[in-house]
Amino acid sequence: MNINKLSVLFLVLLLIVSSCTKKKNSNEKVLNLVSTNKVKGMDPIYANDLYSSREVGRVYESLLEYHYLKRPYVLKPNLAESMPKVSSDGLTYTFKIKKGVYFHDDVSFPGGKGRELVASDFVYSIKRLADPKLQGLGWWLLDGKLAGLNKWRKENATKAKVDYKEEVEGLKALDKYTLQFKLAKPFPQFLYSLAMTFTSAVAKEVVDHYGKEFLNHPVGTGAFVLPVFKQGNRIVYTKNLKFRNKTYPCDASEEFNNSVFLADCGKKLPLVDKLIINIVIEDQPRWLNFKRGKFDWVSVPKDNFQSAIPDSKNLSAEFSSKGVTLLVSPSLDVTYTAFNHDMKLLQNVKLRRAMMMAFDITKSNKLFFNSTALPAQSIVPPGIAGYDKNYKNPYKNYGTAEMVTKAKAMLAEAGYAGGKGLPEITYDTVSSTVGRQGGEYLKKQMAKVGINIKVVQNTWPELQKKITNRNIMLYGIAWSADYPDAENFLQLLYGPNKAPGANGSDYDNPVFNSLFKKAAVMQDSPERTAIYEKLNRMAAELVPLIYGVHRQTFVVKQGWIKNFVNTDFEQGRAQYLNIDLKNKEEMLKKF
Amino acid sequence: MNNYSYIIKRLLYVIPVILGVCLIIFILFNLVGGDPTQAMLGKHATLEQMRELRVELGLDKPLLSQYFDIVRSAFTFDFGRSWSTKQQISQMIKQGAVPSLTMTVPAFMISTVLAILISLVVAFFRGKFIDKAVVFICVSLMSISSLAYILFGQYFFAYKLGLFEISGYEEGFPLFIPYVILPILIWVVLSVGRDIRFYRTVLLDEVYQDYVRTGRAKGLSENTIMLKHVLKNALVPIITYVIIQIPFLILGALLLESFFGIPGLGGMTLNAINSSDFPVIKAVTILSSVAYILFSVLTDVLYTVADPRVRLK
Repeated sequence: MNINKLSVLFLVLLLIVSSCTKKKNSNEKVLNLVSTNKVKGMDPIYANDLYSSREVGRVYESLLEYHYLKRPYVLKPNLAESMPKVSSDGLTYTFKIKKGVYFHDDVSFPGGKGRELVASDFVYSIKRLADPKLQGLGWWLLDGKLAGLNKWRKENATKAKVDYKEEVEGLKALDKYTLQFKLAKPFPQFLYSLAMTFTSAVAKEVVDHYGKEFLNHPVGTGAFVLPVFKQGNRIVYTKNLKFRNKTYPCDASEEFNNSVFLADCGKKLPLVDKLIINIVIEDQPRWLNFKRGKFDWVSVPKDNFQSAIPDSKNLSAEFSSKGVTLLVSPSLDVTYTAFNHDMKLLQNVKLRRAMMMAFDITKSNKLFFNSTALPAQSIVPPGIAGYDKNYKNPYKNYGTAEMVTKAKAMLAEAGYAGGKGLPEITYDTVSSTVGRQGGEYLKKQMAKVGINIKVVQNTWPELQKKITNRNIMLYGIAWSADYPDAENFLQLLYGPNKAPGANGSDYDNPVFNSLFKKAAVMQDSPERTAIYEKLNRMAAELVPLIYGVHRQTFVVKQGWIKNFVNTDFEQGRAQYLNIDLKNKEEMLKKF
Repeated sequence: MNNYSYIIKRLLYVIPVILGVCLIIFILFNLVGGDPTQAMLGKHATLEQMRELRVELGLDKPLLSQYFDIVRSAFTFDFGRSWSTKQQISQMIKQGAVPSLTMTVPAFMISTVLAILISLVVAFFRGKFIDKAVVFICVSLMSISSLAYILFGQYFFAYKLGLFEISGYEEGFPLFIPYVILPILIWVVLSVGRDIRFYRTVLLDEVYQDYVRTGRAKGLSENTIMLKHVLKNALVPIITYVIIQIPFLILGALLLESFFGIPGLGGMTLNAINSSDFPVIKAVTILSSVAYILFSVLTDVLYTVADPRVRLK
């Protein structure tokens, strides 16, 4: 092959590569979003991880949702016409559902046209969540909660085919638009369940049509449409052109009650034409793409924190000159190190206190969270009833030498002066860089008072197995809220929830259990908040766990994105977002 | 025994190998892995739900029956659905294999051809500056971590210079091309050092043979000696080295896929391991074993093409 032929070949290749870029419609409002993990599928009953539930929530809807512009979180009707009528005994919830809501068009409907949503769709969808053959991952939400549902599940477990026609006492469609739930026992958090993706409305004919492939054919009533889901690194949704007349909110809590957040008041949702979800697992490509203006917002990666936010408060000039803004908000979560309370050694409260006193939270915060997290005083995070902002945990170590001296004294009181007589304590963690570093940090902190720690790394299933089999002493973990209620955090210490339940430490304190049981059936009230606060204080002072931090999210967003608010429950967020196209065009010139 | 009988005999070895592989993964799954039901049910798992799920997954069956289920799936290639994602595994493999191959096949071909060509040059200039310089560069390339190449390449060439896409992937030809160029180049840089060192050694073994001296004595040009005689005689070890790598191309390259957002099989396998997704681990292991055996047979057959003196027995 001579030089000329090579040149021609090279030019052809260049032409092919340059033709690979699709032409873009500049008037189309397209959100370029990021998911930091793979999405498993689009079936609401299996969406038990953050990433899958977020995607499911773009297509499917539930009866209720969190108000987009109100904090603390407030529930409001979504597919429900209004909030339910609740019987005086708090056991019966009656909903009217919205009329004129249609499923997306799909071949499984007659003529390919989506039909109207009716109350029986919720009966079917919730039975599907309880279906013993399907093993829905959100069953915990309704387990033992609705009258007759557990019985239905148990009876159908042994049948060859699950009978959906069999009536369940606690789950009835009274007419086309009326839905009634009867609880088996008081459960004040029930309404939160109805704002989760697990209880979204699906259509029976779609499930029947696609069978096991239903998870790849999402057909909901939501603001966005996804004809087929493929497990790749890119998901593209288009605006649901037949979306009902749902409008942008005109009311907001104080922090959002201004022209920035209310400019789109009353406008029909969704406000954008298309969503492109890019699945980017690694930090560097995510961050570089954001810096190029290709992604609309990202969380600031740990390794880029200093360069982006040099003073831990404000963005560097590089970003602010491009119109990028920073949003900081506390997450409803807590990180902690759990003791195995089945072990006699770790039932020694003074030993636990000594360990907590030896653990320097300030340095830990600096090392692992760039000093951005809030040291946890107890188990309930700020932002929900039960958290007392004035309460300071007496055993928390903020890096003072005095606290280390006190820790040593406490260890002596526990019967292990200078660590003498104390066996080596193993700390199990997940085998990731941060997990290992966290283990090494704990080891160093405990060594200061004479406690010898051995760090053991595990895969996540191995760690879970050790917790369930009680083959563990200490382990590091975190908990994020399923719903904004202190009960969801306090249940981590409720005796009957022991492993493999959420109380992996097997902490079992009769006084705590009795108070928790009392509060768990109370409706939201000052009395309940008082009990939550008392429980939270007990959880601090008896040190059943070594509390770490409540993390904060640091999100940077491009200047052209409008109406963006941080939220812990972001399933439906994209429908409220808007793009200033003119501003985007101008801003992109700076990138 | 003719060649066909040999091939059939070698292919029949697949049966005991697969039985053994099934046994090993079955033992490892039951001894080492965590409880998949707990991993699947997540933070709200209860003993009752874990028990129910075990029944649904068939984990309550006798161990022998579970082993036969694995063997059956290995011979029918019906691997069912992933426990973690509920997706059909054959579909997952199909969807993941294409992106992996669009990156690994061109990268493998380029690096192999490039490495052989450079090896021929350094073998020709053996002991001289160019040979020493290439060996030095190869050792340097091999000494640097793959992550360093990826991080630097992505930051400098894709972000700073804007020559390539930072990450991403689009399905279909030619849409994927801009996304795989940089990962391919990094792959080539990563493997070319190791390959040149191997091919150089193989070629140097040949250049000191008697037939090379004979060729020179007969007045053949160095090009003819290197390309027609030395390369041809070195083909047997080269074929072994090249062919045996092919089955692993389908498995992709974990780090490259992860950093460049290529939805290949590398990431899928890692996710399966992290979530104790036994059906996916089983499928990938069995398919890799089968591919390895098939390509071993192909290597043997190619020996007879490269060297007519070789007979399959």
